[in-house]
Amino acid sequence: MEQGVVKVKKDKKITWKEVKRQKFLLVVSFFMVVYGIIFYYWPLTGWLMAFQNYKPKDGLLGSKFVGLAKFKFLFEDVTFLRVIRNTFCMGVLNLVTCTFMAILFAILLNEIRSTKAKKTVQTISYLPHFLSWIIVTGILHDALSSSGIINELLMKFGFIDTSIDFFAHKEYFWPIVAFANVWKETGWNAIIYLAAITSIDPCLYEAASIDGAGRWAKIKYITLPGIKPTIMILLLMNVGNVLNAGFEVQYLLGNGLIKSVSDTIDIYVLTWGISQNDFSLGTAAGIFKSVVSIALILIANSVAKRMGEERLF
Amino acid sequence: MKQKRLTALLLGIVMTASLLAGCGGSASETSGNDSAKSESKTEAAASSDESADAGSTEEKTSYSEDEIADFTMFVTMPGSEINDDNEIAQMIAEKWGVRIKETWLTGQTAAEATGTLIASDEYPDYIDSDEMGLLYDAGALIPLDEYIDQYPEFKEKWFTEEEWEKFRQPDGHIYWINPFGNTKGEPTATTHNDEAFWIQARVLEWAGYPEIKTMDDYFKVIEDYITANPTMDDGTPNIAYTILCEDWRYFCLENAGQFLGGYPNDGSVIVDKSSMTIKDYNTSEDTVKYFKKLNEEYQKGFVDPESFTQTYDEYIAKLSTGRVLGMVDQWWDFAYTVNDVFKQQGLDAKGCNYVPLGLTTEAGMENRWHTYDDTVNQASGIGITVDCEDPERAFKFIVDCAMDQELHDLRFWGVKDVDYSVDDAGLFYRTDEQRMNWSDTAYQASHRCQYSYLPQWGGTSDDGINANKPEEQPSEFQNDMAQPLKDCFAAYGADNYVDMIGSVIEDNGPWFPMYSFSNNFTTETPGGVAWAKMGEIKHEYLPKVVMAKDFDAGWDEYMEAYNACKPEDFLSEMQAILDTFK
Amino acid sequence: MKKRKTSLADKIFVVFNTLFMIAFVVITLYPVLNTLAISFNDGIDAVRGGIYLWPRKFTLKNYITVLSKENMMRGAYITVMRTIIGTVLSLVANALLAFVVSRKRFIFKSQLSLFWVITMYVNGGLIPVFMLYKNLHLTGTFWVYVVPGAVSAFNMLVLRTYMQGLPDSLEESAQLDGAGYWTIFSRIISPLCKPVYATVALFVAVGQWNSWFDAMLYNRMKTEYTTLQYELMKLLSSVMQQSGSAANASAAGANSAAVTPITVRSAATIATMLPIICLYPFLQRYFVTGLTIGGVKE
Repeated sequence: MEQGVVKVKKDKKITWKEVKRQKFLLVVSFFMVVYGIIFYYWPLTGWLMAFQNYKPKDGLLGSKFVGLAKFKFLFEDVTFLRVIRNTFCMGVLNLVTCTFMAILFAILLNEIRSTKAKKTVQTISYLPHFLSWIIVTGILHDALSSSGIINELLMKFGFIDTSIDFFAHKEYFWPIVAFANVWKETGWNAIIYLAAITSIDPCLYEAASIDGAGRWAKIKYITLPGIKPTIMILLLMNVGNVLNAGFEVQYLLGNGLIKSVSDTIDIYVLTWGISQNDFSLGTAAGIFKSVVSIALILIANSVAKRMGEERLF
Repeated sequence: MKQKRLTALLLGIVMTASLLAGCGGSASETSGNDSAKSESKTEAAASSDESADAGSTEEKTSYSEDEIADFTMFVTMPGSEINDDNEIAQMIAEKWGVRIKETWLTGQTAAEATGTLIASDEYPDYIDSDEMGLLYDAGALIPLDEYIDQYPEFKEKWFTEEEWEKFRQPDGHIYWINPFGNTKGEPTATTHNDEAFWIQARVLEWAGYPEIKTMDDYFKVIEDYITANPTMDDGTPNIAYTILCEDWRYFCLENAGQFLGGYPNDGSVIVDKSSMTIKDYNTSEDTVKYFKKLNEEYQKGFVDPESFTQTYDEYIAKLSTGRVLGMVDQWWDFAYTVNDVFKQQGLDAKGCNYVPLGLTTEAGMENRWHTYDDTVNQASGIGITVDCEDPERAFKFIVDCAMDQELHDLRFWGVKDVDYSVDDAGLFYRTDEQRMNWSDTAYQASHRCQYSYLPQWGGTSDDGINANKPEEQPSEFQNDMAQPLKDCFAAYGADNYVDMIGSVIEDNGPWFPMYSFSNNFTTETPGGVAWAKMGEIKHEYLPKVVMAKDFDAGWDEYMEAYNACKPEDFLSEMQAILDTFK
Repeated sequence: MKKRKTSLADKIFVVFNTLFMIAFVVITLYPVLNTLAISFNDGIDAVRGGIYLWPRKFTLKNYITVLSKENMMRGAYITVMRTIIGTVLSLVANALLAFVVSRKRFIFKSQLSLFWVITMYVNGGLIPVFMLYKNLHLTGTFWVYVVPGAVSAFNMLVLRTYMQGLPDSLEESAQLDGAGYWTIFSRIISPLCKPVYATVALFVAVGQWNSWFDAMLYNRMKTEYTTLQYELMKLLSSVMQQSGSAANASAAGANSAAVTPITVRSAATIATMLPIICLYPFLQRYFVTGLTIGGVKE
């Protein structure tokens, strides 16, 4: 980032004339920065808690300072390292499958010629977004249980002889969570890509058709490049979110037998922090997540920059 | 931001569930205590009845709208909100001069909600929290001693001297009062609101009501039944035995060992009264035998294979079909919902209702599955905050709630001739219509006002006939029982669930229940860390122990992980607490 | 579009695409239909499970319970207001910010972007935020719903990406004509951004519509600012409390249609989903049917 600043300064001399011309932009920026500092950065004073034994009665200024004790607690616990792994792996798996499915769905939807069918399918696709996780996981858990529809179908078509208890085996858990996310959010996530597709000039398609391009060719050479900036930006943003792989889904679908793969950082914080009145531990874990997220973003952004792709900043 | 909301929302779901029940114990306080009271106290209560009545009649008996004091109250438990124009609330306001707007915990933990209140430094008039200690530390509460002293009858009847002492804080004052866990008059408990090995009445009937004393007896009768009757009448296959193992509800799997050994529900440890030492039930011989038996049954195929992966909803659904013959659970965790479904489906007439069995490791041992004693939890209760403008009146209302039978009846029975009727003998009863109304959500919001976190009594009311809580009214209980259940109770010479389990009646030590201390452990002490770790390990390994092909190997593996948690740290801290009662 | 002869590959594509969409619709519609079926089912009966696409024991009781909750109308009013005001405010603020950082010549564009990107990954926690809102006198007011979340980095970045995709020539030619940045924003860029505005508006509106945690946290004691979803959460909480309590035991006779958390949750979900689905077609046309950027070529 430092390099970026220097480079900008080298490239363009900031003249008073330029500043004056950009007055409107500067004024808006000023207010946005003030707003951001107040509503997003000022509350970060709460991070002090991670270095304290925070007690509500003493407040942020009066609580006892304990240095890095909370971080030490986290990183000396093998369980915490395990939940980092779980969170990270589920985060990456979710990111890849959800992004892929949303793009695939948006592109294929765009290929439907009938506007009516297109609208109907799209409306239906985003409905599950409005269902709470407790409803969706309830249905999924039923479907995957030993007597559920999935086992019934698998047995009917002869893939298996006896029913599989999917939630008793560690290896199925991450894919199930990824599927749950895809199921609930594909239609919703696709909206951004659909909007991006609309910005592609229809003339391009017509020209391609005249040149005899088939559908695949048009998708490959027009649609995909057209929405590439959007894909890149969302990917970059979500790279920073891999440690926010979630809480509810894993909590609602997990069980004792598969704890070692289902627990995430947030569940860990609930067990060890919140349910024990320890606000500090949760804050420490939060800081850890933030630091990792920002580091990932910086790396991803600079990779994108080197590759000449769209980037966040 | 979004993440945070999500987390909090889920916490809501989790906490709604867990706060309803605590760790297997606190629910017995919240859902109407059905327990008997120690002799001395019952007598004390009965003897001072008249004086209390005389006291309250002197009071002003009607208040105009301007004179009514409106108080706010926050309860760090999920609860039922009532409408602003609730009818009984209005009647109470006109007669006793106080109207309370209750707000309940939604989507946060009790600690978070209390923490935010403290941070904001704005309090409601009344507060009832599981985290009263936090509020006390923050100076949010007013001392109640001088008010308590103004009402000697209340002081005498509500708690014993030792109990009041338990509430005294380090600065020598009392800041809150636990509104639950008191019995007046005769104890009226009919349900065994605790843990047990449950079995369907039809199984016992089929087997000719045999004596069942041990796990071997228990599984033998279940095995015989299911071999003879693999399906229900409609062809649904029966399930011999299932185990609920979801999240905090895995107590259905983990703690039967303490009861099988004949110990009461101290929850986290067992207390050897003779030597005043803490013992770990997780490693006790009774527990090993219990899991060995479960493992054996699992290998024989009598334990539901879905046991360890089913969710609570799936478990309840399974029970509701009537196909599960037996399980270990706490009554409040399944019975209310499941019994409703049985009734609706006519399954109660087929003997699907569950009866509790007081099993022990060896036949002939005393069992302590049932908790007779009122358990007073000194960590929680109702307090008045520094923001309350009229603490005098706020406190008087607390006393009225405890001492005025008319108010108590209005809260729990409702309006006479509207919500309940009285027969010639003075016995309260509800017609079907009244019962239905009473349980209707909309009617509850507009009409019913229980002020359910203000002081209340179990047992019988001042008239000596009726129960303070309708659900404890013996006649209501009898009317409601299906024939197979009546037959079953009769066959064992029991009147109700409490007789059925047949636990010994004795006073628990003043430390009881020990879980009220371990629940407050935090990771600040090694014992707290060990306690939390033990829970995690048990939840993960116990299902594996039951499923293990080779029990001994499975158990050894579990013990290795268990001992790595340093349970001795936890036990020694518990011992230190117990030592304070020596 | 001209009608053309379709090749074999295209035909196969269409067949597969149709099959894919049908499968997709079936799979995504199922949970919604299941919720709908349960919402019309008797509460006690639903506890037994096994309800799929059709209610087993039909009742309207769940909806009556949901709709007759006290304060529901007031909650709905506040929710509609916060959705409208919040969406407008958020859209304007994010669009302005996105416009600023998408100007290629803007001197601080990289720094300002980074400043906002970071906000996505940091979080001070519940209590500091609460204290802040209290000090700003936002707690206990309506504004706590719309002011704090007005600018969000996510929405800003979505808008920025779209704006960056617009040809630079638009801005340059306007500047030659002497237009200031405000004019460029309002007259030239914004009209072209309808699809992405619709997208962001939808995101914000749905977020506002569904949120309840802020109402609980900041306006718990202020019933005049209660929101629809918060009222429903309280209702659900009440029902959960009641269905597992002794006071209700033995109360449900064979003919009663008591409500349970399962059925109330479903009814509440469907009831709150409907209005936002009705809004949808108005926004949907912008991002499904597309829009031609009036013949501008770079």
